[in-house]
Amino acid sequence: MEKKFRIDFDESNVLESVTYTLVSEFNLKPNVLRADINGDGSGIMLLSIEGSKDDIINGMTHIREQGFGVKELKGHIFHDYERCWSCGACMSLCPTRSIYYEPDTMEVRLNTGTCIACGSCINACSVKAIQLEL
Amino acid sequence: MSRVEKAAEEVDVVTTGTFGAMCSSGAFVNFGHSDPPIRMTNIRLNNVEAYGGLAAVDTYIGATSLIDPPGKGYGGAHVIEDLVAGKKIHLQAWGPGTDCYVRKSIDTYIKLDDLNEAYLYNPRNMYQNYSVATNTSNRTLYTYMGKLMPHMKNATYSSAGELSPLVNDPHLDVIGMGTRIFLAGGEGYVAWQGTQFNTTPEEVNGVPVKGARTLAVMGDMKQMDAKYLRGLDITGYGISLAIGIGVPIPVLNEDVMRRCAISNDQIFAEMVDYSLPSDRKCMQRYSYAELRSGMVEYQGKKIRTSSMSSLSGARKVANQLKDWIEHGEFLLNEPALQLPRSGSVKPLLERGE
Repeated sequence: MEKKFRIDFDESNVLESVTYTLVSEFNLKPNVLRADINGDGSGIMLLSIEGSKDDIINGMTHIREQGFGVKELKGHIFHDYERCWSCGACMSLCPTRSIYYEPDTMEVRLNTGTCIACGSCINACSVKAIQLEL
Repeated sequence: MSRVEKAAEEVDVVTTGTFGAMCSSGAFVNFGHSDPPIRMTNIRLNNVEAYGGLAAVDTYIGATSLIDPPGKGYGGAHVIEDLVAGKKIHLQAWGPGTDCYVRKSIDTYIKLDDLNEAYLYNPRNMYQNYSVATNTSNRTLYTYMGKLMPHMKNATYSSAGELSPLVNDPHLDVIGMGTRIFLAGGEGYVAWQGTQFNTTPEEVNGVPVKGARTLAVMGDMKQMDAKYLRGLDITGYGISLAIGIGVPIPVLNEDVMRRCAISNDQIFAEMVDYSLPSDRKCMQRYSYAELRSGMVEYQGKKIRTSSMSSLSGARKVANQLKDWIEHGEFLLNEPALQLPRSGSVKPLLERGE
């Protein structure tokens, strides 16, 4: 299975490796979707992690015990169907093609499962129908 | 009997529709007189400036007018949407105070129902085709054609293609001044040729390959539905109004039928580079079938495409109009005047006195 997590770090653990631990000790396959680091050493990293359910639970529990903030990303992106007028301006901006036309109605829909939270679509929306909360 | 002949015999009306950003739009409003009355020369609706150069309590609120101070993603288009949605609007107005209009200011709230008249008059709507926008530069551009990523990562287009009103009657043989139309959920009319009316662009399959003819339209806001009027805040550009407009085309003869039968693979648009400040040459032509596929190719490079207008909205408009006609709630009429057969666009020159 695949799950997405937000990892928070700070000056005390910014030099430690999260992904290497997940690979070597928990047999997981992490993919860094995004990493932002601030001047004070704090920051966030978004990981997509593939592996068995138990390995993911054990791996992320371990990372949390190491002092990192760990939050599973579910519903990190919200598409307000009521506000959206289905113009499609956002569609060509999505690197993972997570925004698509619903084939029958041609209404714009967003696949939150494949969204990697890059945020490129957010300011392309003329009615603020997409919100990203990490 | 050819298929077109057969279709012309069986089909009475083709309904068309489009639902996209149409910046050159706005509303005439009459507020009614207060007691004592005021001659308004400076008018704000939800802090958006409306025109103060008409008679005492008439105004025109333009779609792209910005809120003061700007930057809140709100403008004239949102005032229009809010009015039609039945929301309360903050009216502030000031005047010089005259012997006949002694009052100098007023601060009140209005709703659409309170207004004597409120009608859209849009000088340029329903562009007949439009260029496709891309960006060859190395920085992201924020344009009225949307967000254009560097190095031609994406391209945007705006026409509803085969469903678009002026694509189905490309030489305005059927549509003219006075033609009754679907305007944002109410009944409207073609008022005049649109501004920048242009018949000169090259045609393929009888349809211009870029922006050409336009229409001015008008209609009573009290009949309208806010779901067909959406205020837009286009990042980096400003405010615009998305409007759902539908035009019925009576199938008077085989020629009208043949033109209405056009499909996306026969309609073309030219891609141009929006990183150039002016004189944007055609890079390549694409059919709407290609554009709609979500990806086009330019010199071996794949470019993702986005529509800037709502296809689902355009379909809803055309279906709603069809439904009205089938139930006898909307009657087609003959235009009062044919629109110009030719017209071109002049540039603005900078001259001394």
